[in-house]
Amino acid sequence: MSRENETFLSSIESNKGIIYKVANSYCKDADDREDLIQEIILQLWKAFPAFKPEFKLSTWMYRIALNVAISAYRKASKRRQIHQPLSDTTLYLVEDKSESNEKRDVLQSLIKELKEVDRALILLYLDGYLYPEIGQVLGLSESNVATKLSRIKQQLKKKFTAK
Amino acid sequence: MQDIELQQIWKLYDEKLQEQLIFNRKNAAEITKLKVKSELASLRPIKIFTVMAGILWVFFLDLLLINIFPGGSMFLLISIGFIALVNNIAVGIYIYQLVLISVINISSPVVKTQKYLASLVNSTLWVTKILMLQLPFWTTFFLSSSWLGTGNPIFWVIQGVITLSFAGLAIWLFINIRYENRDKRWFKFLFGNYEWTPIMKAKEMLVQIEEYEQE
Repeated sequence: MSRENETFLSSIESNKGIIYKVANSYCKDADDREDLIQEIILQLWKAFPAFKPEFKLSTWMYRIALNVAISAYRKASKRRQIHQPLSDTTLYLVEDKSESNEKRDVLQSLIKELKEVDRALILLYLDGYLYPEIGQVLGLSESNVATKLSRIKQQLKKKFTAK
Repeated sequence: MQDIELQQIWKLYDEKLQEQLIFNRKNAAEITKLKVKSELASLRPIKIFTVMAGILWVFFLDLLLINIFPGGSMFLLISIGFIALVNNIAVGIYIYQLVLISVINISSPVVKTQKYLASLVNSTLWVTKILMLQLPFWTTFFLSSSWLGTGNPIFWVIQGVITLSFAGLAIWLFINIRYENRDKRWFKFLFGNYEWTPIMKAKEMLVQIEEYEQE
């Protein structure tokens, strides 16, 4: 395995949460999620040679992961793009059956109800990114991020309380 | 409920992922070795077959036009000429779309990339609108100028009604094939197939992006 390959895999491993969270937020079921995870990793790999170290790796990964997930015709190309879809799962959770978190499940289901760009915005916010960073990933001004985020948070909190 | 509470719920989720999320390194390594047959495959809004068939079709029309040009009837020349023109434009736009899609930078800011992609897919609506304009010319290509003075008036009345009906239908479709009519029954009947889903989704995305750009 080449050095570039090793570096790439280590970068993915250290940011695996980003890929999983994006895929989980844009997919309805586990099969769909696995397809998307594989597609995101493939697109990251293809873009990796052009990655500039002066950028934050996690921000760069978020951009690509969100772009792949949001692309309108992703579902149409499902499993066709990757020629021989891999049978094994690339990212998976070791389920702890005893642990059930109702609030977390409600929040996740509410996020999935949001429009695609709104979903991207709230994911970045919840992950602790600052407004300028969110603006960078999405290509929006800070004031636009603030306005939209305030509206989405209100919407989420209202629905959350109602549940 | 406070903002902090939402972030706390998410933080707990994130911690759980850190502990329990398993990365299958071997599988990921396999992905980096996969040969993607076509760079365009993932984002292509139409099948390659459609483009190939389109190229063959316009090639046939252009060839036909060149061959009939010296002595063909006026009706035939105008009809085939217009049909060829419309189809050439459509195939040209499809190829242009494919080329543009292949050079998209997926690591650009999300809103910019999505707007670009959605605009490209949305332009397929325009190709369909333009293609509709050829409809009346399919009712005139077989006519002969020599029939003008000698033909049966009833024939010309029927011909006129058919051609005008097709022209009316073509103009109506040209005007009405748009996203706003997506829920109309006739629209779903004509375009409710697999290929149209991404186009409608792309338009939805453009509407979302416009909302973002307004503020």
